[in-house]
Amino acid sequence: MAEADLMSSPVGQKPVYWDPYEPEVFANPYPMLKRLREEAPLYYNEKYDFYAVSRYEDCIAVLGNRDDYISKHGGVIEVMKAGIEVPSGMFIYEDPPLHTAHRRFFTKVFTPKHVAALDTQIRDFCVKALDPLVGGNEIDFIEHLGAEMPMRVIGMLLGMPEEQLKDAQRNVDESMRTEPGQQNENSGDSLAGEYYADFVDYRIKNPGDDLVSSLLNTPFDDDKGVTRTLTRAEVLSMVALIFGAGNETTNRLIGWTAKLLSERPDDRREVHANPAMLPEVLEEVLRYEPPGMYIGRTVVRDVEFHGTKVPAGNALLAIVSAANRDEAKFPNGEVFDIHRGRQPHLTFGYGFHNCLGNALARVEGRIAFEEVFKRFRDWEVDLSRAKMSSTATVRGWESLPARI
Amino acid sequence: MPKLTFISADGETTKTVESPVGITLMEAARNAGIDSVAGDCGGACICGTCHIYIDPAWWEKVGEPIDIEQATMEFSENVTPHSRLACRIEVAAELDGLVLRVPPED
Repeated sequence: MAEADLMSSPVGQKPVYWDPYEPEVFANPYPMLKRLREEAPLYYNEKYDFYAVSRYEDCIAVLGNRDDYISKHGGVIEVMKAGIEVPSGMFIYEDPPLHTAHRRFFTKVFTPKHVAALDTQIRDFCVKALDPLVGGNEIDFIEHLGAEMPMRVIGMLLGMPEEQLKDAQRNVDESMRTEPGQQNENSGDSLAGEYYADFVDYRIKNPGDDLVSSLLNTPFDDDKGVTRTLTRAEVLSMVALIFGAGNETTNRLIGWTAKLLSERPDDRREVHANPAMLPEVLEEVLRYEPPGMYIGRTVVRDVEFHGTKVPAGNALLAIVSAANRDEAKFPNGEVFDIHRGRQPHLTFGYGFHNCLGNALARVEGRIAFEEVFKRFRDWEVDLSRAKMSSTATVRGWESLPARI
Repeated sequence: MPKLTFISADGETTKTVESPVGITLMEAARNAGIDSVAGDCGGACICGTCHIYIDPAWWEKVGEPIDIEQATMEFSENVTPHSRLACRIEVAAELDGLVLRVPPED
């Protein structure tokens, strides 16, 4: 948004205010995030009692420093404020040495090479989702593709039977849902993964060649240097983590890609003519519309940003969605440009807790749109019938119908 | 401009390029068309796909990986004591003549 436009808009005239729940801001947070970067680079929200940084360099400073900013109290405001005891195994909310032990155990499953080997199966899920739509006049990018393919890929990795997948997805959706303007009533139960108990118990008795069986049976060196296998409780938390992290996020990436390319027919036709551009186009979508708006940490010693102290014990959010458009790092950052090339956006985080699934998300997004473009050159999203999700942690479309 | 030499994984192909100071080795490799140094994440130290071997003679000058880089290298294949992520190293005048090897695919 140009400076003059911003100042004459309702957002430009209000005091700087941001929280992830405010419906008006949630619909389009970017004008306010720009003001945050410029007017309140260290922002304090009184209503929910958190601090936030929004400039690229500040977000890097927080996310790259695990000594001063810790994760064990959670990364979303609800969890951090509720003082929920995060269960062992939910390693996105752990600190060294436990985090190091748990994460290392997992990384090898999600290396770019390992994920590339899933190409055929991911493509097959996309083909099954898209083929029935050929010859029709509508696609819902979420219902038909975004809510289907990533879920099936995760199900395949975990070895979760088809009939349990949809149930599990509904369970995750419900645990993340928030009422407009309200916080999520997160009790922490969803973190412990009790919902997956039957499934994990089945794999304890019937090991297969799936990820859950490897989680149950592969020895590793834990934080105390003891070689052991994961406990049942740790496996449950990890299954909850993978299922939660691997579904909604890629789903949102598919929705945003479809919307942005719907609104830009010239870009869309260029990518249709040259699908080799897709990886770079998807990076730009990830930069421009990150599903996760912010990453929270807890400050463990007094720190200072822009001359103001943040006392130890406070929640500090790195608003990566704001950092991704910081003009100091990305020239014309508010502009969506499919020719920008790969840029170091913070959508997958930064540092020790960066997203393990980043390679998987990239491969899924690329294959999804390769298959879309094989079938459809043009589509037009009907925003009057589209629905924005109401989860404050993962912003994007819950339904996105388009004419084809 | 400093000269950089990239040697292919099989040792058969050598490519020497001149690179401006201040960009990263990942960007220099991309500019030189070294496809196997992918740099999927654009240099945010997330993906581990710009993994490269520093010639042992240059190791001291280039320096040890930082802790974040070490963590991200868990995504990389065939990591050795001379592994670095190219996105974490800036091209500088004192690196003129630097020799780099591309890791094998398997």
